[in-house]
Amino acid sequence: MIHFVKISKVGVVLTLALSLSASAVEAPKRIDVKQLSKKVEDVVVPLPNEVFGALNKLGGVNWKEYVRNGKGSNFTERPRIALLLGTVIADGFIAVQAEDAPTVKDIGQRVLGLAKGIGVGNSITPHARAITEAADKRNWVGVRQELDRTQNSVQQAMNEVHDEKLSHLVSLGGWLRGTEVLTAVVNKRFSSDGAELLHQPDLLTYFQDRLQAMPEFNLRLLQEIQAALGEVRPLIDVGDVPISAESVKRINEITARLDEAIVTKGR
Amino acid sequence: MSAFVQKLSGTALCLMAAVALIPRTAFSSVDDAQSFALQAAEPYVKEGFQIREDYWGGDLGAGEKKAVKQQLFKGNEYWFWLGTEVEKASVSVHIYDKEGKLVEQPDSWQKGQFAAAHVTPQSTDSYFIIVTIETSPEERTHWALVYGFR
Repeated sequence: MIHFVKISKVGVVLTLALSLSASAVEAPKRIDVKQLSKKVEDVVVPLPNEVFGALNKLGGVNWKEYVRNGKGSNFTERPRIALLLGTVIADGFIAVQAEDAPTVKDIGQRVLGLAKGIGVGNSITPHARAITEAADKRNWVGVRQELDRTQNSVQQAMNEVHDEKLSHLVSLGGWLRGTEVLTAVVNKRFSSDGAELLHQPDLLTYFQDRLQAMPEFNLRLLQEIQAALGEVRPLIDVGDVPISAESVKRINEITARLDEAIVTKGR
Repeated sequence: MSAFVQKLSGTALCLMAAVALIPRTAFSSVDDAQSFALQAAEPYVKEGFQIREDYWGGDLGAGEKKAVKQQLFKGNEYWFWLGTEVEKASVSVHIYDKEGKLVEQPDSWQKGQFAAAHVTPQSTDSYFIIVTIETSPEERTHWALVYGFR
């Protein structure tokens, strides 16, 4: 979707122009954020690799420990497929961190199968192919970009047919799996900087609000997730107080339980 | 028949002339603004920034602002790039923490229809990204905001 090649010349011209220009109007050093409350746009949910990147900077993580490559269950309920799709894309980012090409390729095919199951397979086929090609070349930057494009295309295709709620479930599935792995890594070698990466109360609110607006998806799993997010809130919405090792462990237990429920049939 | 064709081609010419007089922005969209935001982002890809596919966009009048709340992670470095397709517009983007304190780096910049803000978060938290259409010849100006991290 993003074609940087086409715009590279303009980019060069722009860089030159910027290097010659001074900045314009100076920004106020402080603003009243309360006045913004009615004008705030929704968050863009961070990709799992955004938090994995920050985690990497805290010290070597053995990503191979967290790679998962099961075929998993097949579902017919679209909300369940959407949650699983988000989880599998997150697994793709983990496999990229581990530089595990065979798993990345399998995940590309799994994503395609799930996207077909939800009726948006056509928009994913070129990305699945690009993931395989990039993994063959061990072009990890390319794989990451294609995984982002895959998630974006899935969600755009869903939004086009007014399935925004399924699109939110894709993001939620990815966030839950990302948080499970984040807490597993921090739990293994605790640091306050690692635990601080869990300080995401506004994202939690965002997901809680989205889940509340889906009463038509009468699934026990969604009710479980809603309740679990309520359990997580007091553990991460701690203001300036550091998030404790006990909280990290508890969040890991909660998210691991949810992840198990997402990937397993019979819930 | 030929009279009909002549009449039709005359109508087509009138229509083409009319279309040519419609302001270009009447056909433009947030997608156009996004391509300009990506132009601003493009040089940073070589520096290792991963640009997100997802983006924010909309339209604003001159002098109007929009706030975007975004989760940022300590340890990462972020750039936010703003663009509009309206050539004679000038736009700005700035980053504040949840207390309303300006937190962007001094190398943040604005240049006409492009602007960018750079931040290395000191804490993992939500931040406000404030988008402003400073001036514009149009009544409503499309904008798009993309971001990247490394």
